[in-house]
Amino acid sequence: MSALRSRWPQTLGMAIVLGLVAFVIFGPLANLFLWAFAEKWYFPNRIPQEFGFSFWGRVFSPRGNALASLGTSIWIALLTVALSLAVAIPAGYALARLKLRWRGLILLAFLLPQAVPNLPVYVNIARVFYEIGLNGTILGVVLVHASHGLVLAVWIASAAFASVDPSLEEAARNMGASPWTCFRTVTLPLAAPGLIASAIFVFLESLDEFTGTYFVGVPDVTTLPLLMFNASMGGNYQIASITALLLLVPSIAFMLVVERFLKADVLAGVGR
Amino acid sequence: MQFRNLFAIGTLAAALAVPAGVAAQTTLNVVTAGDQNMVDYVNNYLAPRFEKMNPGVKVRAVGTGPGDAGSQKIYEKLSAQQKANVAAWDTDVAVVHQRGAGTMVKESLLLPYRNDVAAGKLVSRDTAKNALGANVDGYVLPMFHSQIAFAYNPDLVKAPPKSFAELAEWVKKNPKQFGYNGVKGGMSGVGFVTAWVSANSGMADKLEKGPYSVADRAAIDKSLAGLKDFNQHVVMTPGNAGTLDMLNRGEIAMGPVWVDMFYTWQADGKMSPKIKLALPAPGLPGQPMYYVIPAKAANAALAKKFVDFAASPEVQAEGIVKQFNWYPGIDPQFVQAKLTSAEWNKLFVDITPADLAKNGRPFPLSDYFTDIVEGYER
Amino acid sequence: MARRLPSPGGEITVAPTVNGSTGSWRAYALVAPALAVIAAFFVLPLILSAVLAFRSKGGDFTFEHFAKAWDLYQTDLMFTVGIVALSTFLIGVVAVAIAGYLTLGENPRAVAILRWLYRWPLFIPFIVTGQIMRTFLAKNGMLNHALIGSGLIEPLAAQSLLDWRGIVVAFVWKQAPFVTLLLAGAMASLEPQQIEAARNLGARRWRVLLDVILPQVRGTLLVGLVLSFVTMLSVLSVPMMINPNSPTMITVDVAYRISTLSDYAVANALCLMSLAVAAAGAWFYLQHAKRQTLQS
Repeated sequence: MSALRSRWPQTLGMAIVLGLVAFVIFGPLANLFLWAFAEKWYFPNRIPQEFGFSFWGRVFSPRGNALASLGTSIWIALLTVALSLAVAIPAGYALARLKLRWRGLILLAFLLPQAVPNLPVYVNIARVFYEIGLNGTILGVVLVHASHGLVLAVWIASAAFASVDPSLEEAARNMGASPWTCFRTVTLPLAAPGLIASAIFVFLESLDEFTGTYFVGVPDVTTLPLLMFNASMGGNYQIASITALLLLVPSIAFMLVVERFLKADVLAGVGR
Repeated sequence: MQFRNLFAIGTLAAALAVPAGVAAQTTLNVVTAGDQNMVDYVNNYLAPRFEKMNPGVKVRAVGTGPGDAGSQKIYEKLSAQQKANVAAWDTDVAVVHQRGAGTMVKESLLLPYRNDVAAGKLVSRDTAKNALGANVDGYVLPMFHSQIAFAYNPDLVKAPPKSFAELAEWVKKNPKQFGYNGVKGGMSGVGFVTAWVSANSGMADKLEKGPYSVADRAAIDKSLAGLKDFNQHVVMTPGNAGTLDMLNRGEIAMGPVWVDMFYTWQADGKMSPKIKLALPAPGLPGQPMYYVIPAKAANAALAKKFVDFAASPEVQAEGIVKQFNWYPGIDPQFVQAKLTSAEWNKLFVDITPADLAKNGRPFPLSDYFTDIVEGYER
Repeated sequence: MARRLPSPGGEITVAPTVNGSTGSWRAYALVAPALAVIAAFFVLPLILSAVLAFRSKGGDFTFEHFAKAWDLYQTDLMFTVGIVALSTFLIGVVAVAIAGYLTLGENPRAVAILRWLYRWPLFIPFIVTGQIMRTFLAKNGMLNHALIGSGLIEPLAAQSLLDWRGIVVAFVWKQAPFVTLLLAGAMASLEPQQIEAARNLGARRWRVLLDVILPQVRGTLLVGLVLSFVTMLSVLSVPMMINPNSPTMITVDVAYRISTLSDYAVANALCLMSLAVAAAGAWFYLQHAKRQTLQS
């Protein structure tokens, strides 16, 4: 801490920098908010010349099913997080801690769904899912989302486990803890921040996904991003903005909830 | 740690593998390519009326996205079900573009149904039988017809160009005021490019009617070379919606757009009501959206009933013309009879019926089409 | 002094195993469920598609689709690699700067504000990012209005950023918070004594960030960057909505081959080329990670 009198220019500089960051972040977002409430907006007006809620009325029209789709989206995202973490935690641990012959290739395999432009693959994904009867089911959509989310879950979990100091585990083992107890009480809590972060990313990935949902879920399972995609690609800015705002709510809520849970948990587990 | 609970949720997920939407009533699944307003039209206009006429039926509409990409997604889903030998397909009625319809007929994905429905006898346009050179006779019923036209700001463009030669002159005098979306950003750009070739190669009729000859590539490439020069003076826009978007912000004064999208943008307050349309000679392409029924639709009988209802003159007049200002899919005389002349004339404020008849053209045959767009890319 | 640190922060390393080499079969069993999901629900469909890239019209094996893809789209491939590489680099710089300030910042209020600010783009899907950037960066868009309104540029100097620059801006805007979140987490879990010791020796903050902190969280940074790299490589909506010019990104070409020409063969060939780029990026990272382990 420097002396008080020398601090004001620094504070001013800080305020300017933060103001610029805020502009960069919220400038584009301002468009989203304006379009969500714009009834009329065209050249030469720089802001909408008429505001209103008629497009909200359209999104929430009784036959539009927006709220039901939002509910389905959230449910699918939660299940995707559960499934991804359930298989990614053991995999991440093994990749970080145990000896694996084809480690590099295995890591690359998880990268595939994220790395390939998916458009030409989906027709075959749909075919495989129709063949095994998973098309039109929630589980089918969850599996497609999970195969995309797994790279985030596995890679980040692996990084998180690798960053846990092995000497702490050894100490626990030397005190007579079983490998499972050691993993549960030492390794897992220490890796928790990384795992939580991956849970947030997987949740967002699933919540915003539309192409996989279309091929595997539609028409029996419909989610809100399908509407967002349609509206956005067609240049229907109002509807697209409103659906994007609706999707913000569960995204932020999920992050706040897991972070709250994380803080309590890390403190309890590590006993710092 | 609560991670154990996650496993519990995982097992619960397995229990959810039963298909959703099992209900006592029949659900008619209508999947539509095109903009969100088409989904809204099925959902908010057609569905309640059809459900009232058919108690116990629920219509469910899903959109797959605008442009040919939307039709392609419908094709892919049907093709996947065909390859997986699914007995009853999950789509009952689909709304698709010409290119998609052609592919679907070729791969036996559609049901020939037009002669089974009353409204099938009301069609007159050539496009009800022929989709870009593919014979789709009997498999399709046009929902509405759309047309590419130039949208322009009359404050900046006093006299819109009447031909492509005039347009080429105009862009030289007004650089960066004309915008279109190339060939990768959607059909309004593709249509402009094919129209340019039609106008500048002197082969307009041959490109539409054939017979196809590889030797014509030279003439196509020659007219495309002229287009490269033209492109120096124009702005490229990102997609069909991108052209409208730049008109919205006043960044361009003129550009080719789909007429149906244009009216939607005006209705949604995103386009100044001052902006007008023009259709230059020798013409720009247009195409219908088709109602089709998949070959193994789970509710084929009900699907036919639905299309018959949707293509009836009353619904075409009330829904397609009055609500959206779109050109009807069935023969106009049946639709015009259901409307006052004021209502009917609203369709032709900027583009007269005579212009439309003369300068509203089909897209080139698919071999020529491929030659043109690939030639453009080189 | 960095040598004496307990562990590298978050590197995926072939770390000395706790159980020695006997754990091997158990390791495969632990990886198996996750691999099974990928194999059944992605790799199998991918193979079904990829064979189309090697099949001629007559059904024989051929490279003609690759030749055509290369012929038509080699510029686009270079463009894609360039855009994604530049974006990845910028994302790294922004993420290190923000995460660094969050860790070392002395003004608690500024740290709190920045922590609140930087995350928002995380919650905006790519397609919406494309849409809002299109209306923000356009010639008559909000950015230019703000610049003109504040007197920073003349109205005539306003230009559209809707080209390759727009794609880069959109990518960095959307992905930098992702890497920052990971990085800030890794930095927060470092031993605070280390940093304090360096600060007490009189080191400047940015020196501490680059010399003491960054080497320890390098692994996390690289994981975040590789994930961003491959993600951006496969995003369609951003280049489609922002960049009208040629060259454009490979994903746009793939979509165009499929929806305008129903040409799955060339589309799949393009996908495999894009996959090769992604694999190269990931391989680079894995090699780097291995080297790190050998050094320590």
